[in-house]
Amino acid sequence: MFEFITPLFVSLILGGTLVGIIFGAIPGMTATMAVAISLPLTYSLGLENGLALLLGLYVGGISGGLVPAILLGIPGTPSSITTTFDGYPMAQRGEGEAALRIGIISSFVGGIISLAVLWLFAPTLADFAIKFSYVEKFLIILFALTVMAALSSDMLLGIFSGVLGIFVSLIGVYDVSDGGNGKLRLVPPGWEYWLDSGFSLLPVLIGLFGLAAILEQAELGVPRGHSAKDIKVGRHSAFSFSVFRGQAVNLVRSSAIGTFVGILPGVGGSAASIIAYTNAKTFSRHPERFGKGEPAGIIASESGNNGLTGGALVPLLSLGIPGDSTTALLIGAFTLQGVQVGPVHRQQPGHLERDDRGHADRQRGDAGDDVCGDPLVRAVVTIPKHILFPVILMMCVIGAYTINYGIMFDVWTLAIFGCSAGWR
Amino acid sequence: MLGLAILLRDRARIAASGAAWRQTFAAMDKPRFLGTIALTLVYFSAMVPVGDLWPNTGLGFLICSIPYVAGTGLLFMHDRSWRQAVPLAIVALAGPTFVWWLFTYPLFLTLP
Repeated sequence: MFEFITPLFVSLILGGTLVGIIFGAIPGMTATMAVAISLPLTYSLGLENGLALLLGLYVGGISGGLVPAILLGIPGTPSSITTTFDGYPMAQRGEGEAALRIGIISSFVGGIISLAVLWLFAPTLADFAIKFSYVEKFLIILFALTVMAALSSDMLLGIFSGVLGIFVSLIGVYDVSDGGNGKLRLVPPGWEYWLDSGFSLLPVLIGLFGLAAILEQAELGVPRGHSAKDIKVGRHSAFSFSVFRGQAVNLVRSSAIGTFVGILPGVGGSAASIIAYTNAKTFSRHPERFGKGEPAGIIASESGNNGLTGGALVPLLSLGIPGDSTTALLIGAFTLQGVQVGPVHRQQPGHLERDDRGHADRQRGDAGDDVCGDPLVRAVVTIPKHILFPVILMMCVIGAYTINYGIMFDVWTLAIFGCSAGWR
Repeated sequence: MLGLAILLRDRARIAASGAAWRQTFAAMDKPRFLGTIALTLVYFSAMVPVGDLWPNTGLGFLICSIPYVAGTGLLFMHDRSWRQAVPLAIVALAGPTFVWWLFTYPLFLTLP
């Protein structure tokens, strides 16, 4: 059972989580970006070690958002928006370190509960999904489009965006081996050579979540970062586990909300933490304390957004549908290793169990890294963007180029989709 | 059909989009935004021709990445002083060199 637990495996989980926290802690950089630019590194690592690194980056990226949310009042990731409501007031009172610890422990509990759900439900759902025919698969895609429309501020535009995505995915040859007619679809004259297989998924995602994010920052003039003087941690501020007394229901409920939201395709961490926070406030005996430095608010927000991580893996592993943008990138990571996610994945012996184990070890690494990495992460918040962004751009190029073992058209795909998303 | 429905419903907003685009263009940091796109496109275009001078060595990536990282870093910098430029120069040299070495030797992946 423990044949995967090697020093390299553990190092990759710890290293991945730490790098993920660094990405999450820097406003403007996300877990998705961390996974996107690290994908090429998984080539030589094999399935288990590659997933250990990527899943570490995923959870670390989600968790890392709490650091600037608490210390600076700026969410590092969208899923930490509600952490700012109570975390920053606590930091202003000189209880920054206590707030960080509350957030870290809540993240850990949220992750463990979502892991339990992943462990229990993904295999069952996959066993059920293996019986799906084209009709059921079509209905799942229709359900995903419905969720997108419901969550979008404009229903018509939401459906249009989803259909546009399907339209782009149809470009290329519908292979005979996949039941198609072997003819080119939606390829303009002269582009047949390049678009024979359509656009590769990963260069598209790296463009959308890597290049576009940096172009957005460039459009804003690359906002000046914060200096160490802006951070008031209140070191060694009083922290006691007694703060969690009476919060068991809040912890479990928020984690369950996060996990459920994660299972829904395309909803995302910000919705998970907002719903968890709103529920915690509604059911609290002292709702008036929320927004003024109430630890229960941090508990709800952080257990909610970490609950998302395991939940988002449930539809990915059982149905082949990503729960959020980061898990969409993980499909690419599986493909690189020759593993097909979805119901077929279940038929490959031991794969689900391996993924679950990676997730479990990653949660343990998450707690360790978060606690040990606090001073480092605090320093990371102040790293200048003019050094980070060019290196990230370069890594995006490497990622896009190496995905299909060296095709320059994939780099141009990155440019096309990155510039399209950045120019809006 | 969806596009047509959006066109019909939002025809007034779409007709007025020219002003919105002008406002967006006026508010954006043009040197940084357009400069990043231009540098990136030049970087992508130059990598393969430079790499073809030394085929299968990945030197196209290395030689183009060093000025690209330095140039983009300078573009993103707010106060261009020696104190800030020196760390950037070190990163611009060390970063691409390390990545080139990593992909060429331990990972055996050929770069442009």
